[in-house]
Amino acid sequence: MGRYVVRRLVQMVPVFVGATLLIFLMVNVMGDPIAGLCGERRCDPATAARLRAEFGLDRPVWQQYLTYMGNVFTGDFGTAFNGQEVTELMATAFPVTLRLTLIAILFEIVVGVTLGVVTGLRRGRPVDTGVLLLTLVVISVPTFVTGLLLQLLLGVKWGWIRPSVSTEAPFAELILPGLVLASVSLAYVTRLTRTSIAENRRSDYVRTAIAKGLPRHRVVTRHLLRNSLIPVVTFIGADVGFLMGGAIVTERIFNIHGVGYQLYQGILRQNTQTVVGFVTVLVLVFLVANLVVDLLYAVLDPRIRYV
Amino acid sequence: MLLDVRDLHVEFRTRDGVARAVNGVSYRVDAGETLAVLGESGSGKSVTAQAVMGILDTPPGRITGGEVLFRGRDLLKLKEDERRRVRGAEMAMIFQDALSSLNPVLPVGDQLGEMFVVHRGMSRKDARARAVELMDRVRIPAARERAKQYPHQFSGGMRQRIMIAMALALEPALIIADEPTTALDVTVQAQVMDLLAELRREYRMGLILITHDLGVVADVADRIAVMYAGRIVESAPVHDLYGAPAHPYTRGLLDSVPRLDLKGRELHAIKGLPPGLTHIPPGCAFHPRCPMARDVCRTDVPPLYGVAEPDAARGSACHFWRECLDG
Amino acid sequence: MSEQHYESERVVAVTGVGGTVDLGADGTERPGKAPGGPGGPGGPGPRDRPRSLWSDAWRDLRRNPVFIVSGLVICFLVLISLWPSAIASGSPLACDLAKAQEGPRPGHPFGFDGQGCDVYTRTVHGARTSVTVGVLATLGVAVLGSVLGALAGFLGGVWDAVLSRITDVFFAIPVVLGGLVLLSVITSNTVWPVIGFIVLLGWPQISRIARGSVITVQQNDYVQAARALGASRTRLLLRHIAPNAVAPVIVVATIALGTYIALEATLSYLGVGLKPPSVSWGIDISAASPYVRNAPHALLWPSGALAVTVLAFIMLGDAVRDALDPKLR
Repeated sequence: MGRYVVRRLVQMVPVFVGATLLIFLMVNVMGDPIAGLCGERRCDPATAARLRAEFGLDRPVWQQYLTYMGNVFTGDFGTAFNGQEVTELMATAFPVTLRLTLIAILFEIVVGVTLGVVTGLRRGRPVDTGVLLLTLVVISVPTFVTGLLLQLLLGVKWGWIRPSVSTEAPFAELILPGLVLASVSLAYVTRLTRTSIAENRRSDYVRTAIAKGLPRHRVVTRHLLRNSLIPVVTFIGADVGFLMGGAIVTERIFNIHGVGYQLYQGILRQNTQTVVGFVTVLVLVFLVANLVVDLLYAVLDPRIRYV
Repeated sequence: MLLDVRDLHVEFRTRDGVARAVNGVSYRVDAGETLAVLGESGSGKSVTAQAVMGILDTPPGRITGGEVLFRGRDLLKLKEDERRRVRGAEMAMIFQDALSSLNPVLPVGDQLGEMFVVHRGMSRKDARARAVELMDRVRIPAARERAKQYPHQFSGGMRQRIMIAMALALEPALIIADEPTTALDVTVQAQVMDLLAELRREYRMGLILITHDLGVVADVADRIAVMYAGRIVESAPVHDLYGAPAHPYTRGLLDSVPRLDLKGRELHAIKGLPPGLTHIPPGCAFHPRCPMARDVCRTDVPPLYGVAEPDAARGSACHFWRECLDG
Repeated sequence: MSEQHYESERVVAVTGVGGTVDLGADGTERPGKAPGGPGGPGGPGPRDRPRSLWSDAWRDLRRNPVFIVSGLVICFLVLISLWPSAIASGSPLACDLAKAQEGPRPGHPFGFDGQGCDVYTRTVHGARTSVTVGVLATLGVAVLGSVLGALAGFLGGVWDAVLSRITDVFFAIPVVLGGLVLLSVITSNTVWPVIGFIVLLGWPQISRIARGSVITVQQNDYVQAARALGASRTRLLLRHIAPNAVAPVIVVATIALGTYIALEATLSYLGVGLKPPSVSWGIDISAASPYVRNAPHALLWPSGALAVTVLAFIMLGDAVRDALDPKLR
């Protein structure tokens, strides 16, 4: 196990470098890194040249990348467009998005798994068909449409919630955005759980459990669920990385000042440091989430061996 | 009388129509007796056993008639909770494929101990100790350590011993073994079969042995019931049946087994294929493949005729059982 | 088990198959049920798989109401994107600010949006953008992804390792985020940058599927036999492996088509996909959201059209998967 972890960590390095380099190149080639540094006006040529030298922008891109990554590993993510440290932006943005992601994951676990178990055990009945159709609709309607519609209904028409979230973004205000962020994954979790349950329900070891004279609830919880939830747990684990990166749309709809908001601002103002810094962290979260998921597999399924 | 199955009917709903898997099967097992149920796959032998055990998948399966009298009670009339208490405790089942029949993510010790926790209300610790004892009993070496291992860490033979241990755990009165050695290597088959036979004798349990292996049957069974297309076509004490079969299907089965003393002769295979259960032929279901078939076989379903032998407990579902008996 | 399981589950989750742990990976075998009785009744004999797979699938599809309904919706969408004027004669750009945010009236069943444009005309004309982006992006992704994936699976070794790592890199970048970065600086107002972007970030998904199925198919006996008989590598790939590895690619690509349409709308909503004066549902939804209190119809109609379109493609993919997956037979 220890050796496997080390090997996976080593494998992560090229992926990490590749992904961050790609973003670095995109931002540098496409955008103008010093745009916005002179306020609203365009920089005059002399200032621009000075700024370029100061930020090392006159050197080849690969050198810039190395310098940047070197700084990142000493905890220096550079400066944002408004003169703030990028790390300061992160300190305010990441907790908000983490809260949002946490709520989304909770929805996936509580609602998704429950619906999946219920429908998996009642395959072919009306409740199953209904939920299955509903998941298809949820998967099909793009998140931004779901978000806008729910905001319109609950926030504007019925007035149950505030249509936009305040800057502090407390848990209570993030419940609806969390549901919107979770919606597509929620539908996946439901379908995955349902398929997994329905498949395992016909398995030989469940038949054995029934033949042993175990009560139904014990057959379901101890034998059926324990096996069926392995792929579900790993899906949800890996989804953490996806949700954090995908929160841009949700955060924009509900005006949440999280990671997506800061990234969006950084992109609009073509601020290299903000964009690359946030993406670097997101890529790391994604990679670590996937590693944890692979390790989780070994814990959950004794048949998996790591070599 | 330990088990008395009377006129059992089971149907399955399939895409192609209703499959009549069991069509009026009756058999009896006395305490301490071994009944072998012989038949090809699709003959209804496993479905009958699952109906007796109460583990039939419903739907698509459905018991449409008959009685399963176990120690005088009709199991089909019990409430599900009462039925559950019978399963595992009073009658237990051994399955063919132990690898898929054991839960892959639980240690085998836990799976064995679960029997004691659920049916006897033991603590987990006591149950674990009993599980180790059981594994010792079926001669699994280093039982204490191996109880913590998972099914995939055992060899095929060892896994089947664990299945046997699980079935024996609460010393049931009846064990149903569904092709218990089919998935195993030939050398291991004999060991497992011997172990099963020995433990059965020791605990004086009734045993229903479902198999298609005539060699296994001859060694351990007291009586044989031969099934074809969801019916019992012949039922007889083992030696009577081997000596002189009273049904052409049984004769065909016996003739298709290679025998050392008849080396060099051509093997007889039964021509044709068993019928699909959605389209069982009218009359005697075996008539399209029967060398002795006549007109009456195409129209009239033969009842299980009592075969007039010294031993009255013999029957054959062939209109011409006398001719068959005379060879 | 490796990093690969995640992607397969994404796909699995959409398509609804799977959920079992793949035992092949760690070498544990799962013995099948021993067949037969003394008479040796065989099941149906080995059939000509490729042909029967496709003809069986087509027979299943024709009887599947989901397939028929989604097929009809898609046909309708394709027709109106080819000839939108057939059912909406006006120009989507003919707007009259005086009518801004007004509700439905005769001749204008969906009302007017914030710029006073006819919502019905714009919704009908928006189909073209979605269908064009969806179809072209899917074609690009499918061709690029399956060629690269099949080569990786077939050649193995260094090729496979390098390509797999590149795939990992693309997977680690959140799609919407990549779109924002790449497309925010592009000024061209055609569908091509969006299509190019989707192909760039979409191919790894297909390449993984193609690679996986090529590796699986390669282990089949008939491929081994062809190899033993001295078939050339090209012949092997084109004649034996490719036709049998194509089914999963088709399934995933059909479902992906729906998600690409959604992605285009999302990017346009965020302001980096297509920009006005292009006509796209995403643009209209984005434009309608600030004044949704006064004119919800301007938001609802394009949203509904978008949802129905994506739903139709995903349902079609679902039906095709059901028909092509032999495991469910």
